[in-house]
Amino acid sequence: MCAAQGRAGGFPMKEHWHEQIQRCVSGDSTQEEAAALQQALKDDAELRALYLDYVNLDVALGVAAEAAAITETGIGKIAMHPPPSAWPILHHWRWLAAAAACAALIVILPRHRVSSGARQDFDATISSTQNAIARLSFEPASSLPEWMSPTASMLQSPETRK
Amino acid sequence: MSTLNAQHHDQFLCLFAEHEAALRTFVRSIVPSLADASEILQDTSVVLWQKFDEFDARRDFRKWAFGVARYEALRYLRDRVRDRHVFDDALVDRLADDAMAADQRHEAQREALEQCLKKLPAARREMVLAAYTKGTRMDELAAGRGQTAMSLYKMLHRIRQTLLECVRRRVAREGFL
Repeated sequence: MCAAQGRAGGFPMKEHWHEQIQRCVSGDSTQEEAAALQQALKDDAELRALYLDYVNLDVALGVAAEAAAITETGIGKIAMHPPPSAWPILHHWRWLAAAAACAALIVILPRHRVSSGARQDFDATISSTQNAIARLSFEPASSLPEWMSPTASMLQSPETRK
Repeated sequence: MSTLNAQHHDQFLCLFAEHEAALRTFVRSIVPSLADASEILQDTSVVLWQKFDEFDARRDFRKWAFGVARYEALRYLRDRVRDRHVFDDALVDRLADDAMAADQRHEAQREALEQCLKKLPAARREMVLAAYTKGTRMDELAAGRGQTAMSLYKMLHRIRQTLLECVRRRVAREGFL
């Protein structure tokens, strides 16, 4: 049994269990190793806490790797939050378009006399356009693609899924 | 879908999305196999949605979801994996209790991981993330880095241990232990 081997083998128990837990979490344990770990987990609350922390780490690393892979493949440039350092590059064309639009308005506006009502409408339009540009530039799309989300299949109600 | 149904559905999705990571960790805690845990999580999510009508909104969704997941895990293990080696019911129950009690600490550890990953040298960080990317084959990853699979496993073991110590230290500083 793994536990007996650990105690008799002379290497530190703590180190031994770090390895055994990692093997178990990765699905690499032999039956004997898993049985020894099971018995040890039953007897030792501290070991159970270590085991649970490793499981938690394993899950969190899976999530972190998935997020990193998404960012690398380019999907993340649209669907995930890009790092702030990437924003000027990703949205450079949008700022150029916004600057061009503003320049055109500055040139056009003095040539036209508009009523105060029309002016208010115009101001509202400018403001809404600026907001839209700001949103385009800074708001990342929040949803993952459907195939990546374990909850995507639940977007339909049970009735409609049947 | 009627407006009421749609609201109900949205409410469920919001709650499920909020607690999904904790639920995934909880299931993995009591069923180490990734494949089994994924199936149990799927079964659990379906049952949660089917029973969502019975859920009292004043109750804690996470506790309710953990309870359903625990039942689903035990049922799954009894029905489908009799011939495989898994933890027995007594240990599953004990781990489930401990996992529920450690829930807040685990959430804090998941949040601390980002900082701990940043502390790793870039090459090691890239390696561990590559190892955890879906579809990665360890032998190919090792070959690509000019390593043997065994040396890669040993390195991953050390990195995980380092990360675990880091997240535990950070969370202990915040008073969760």
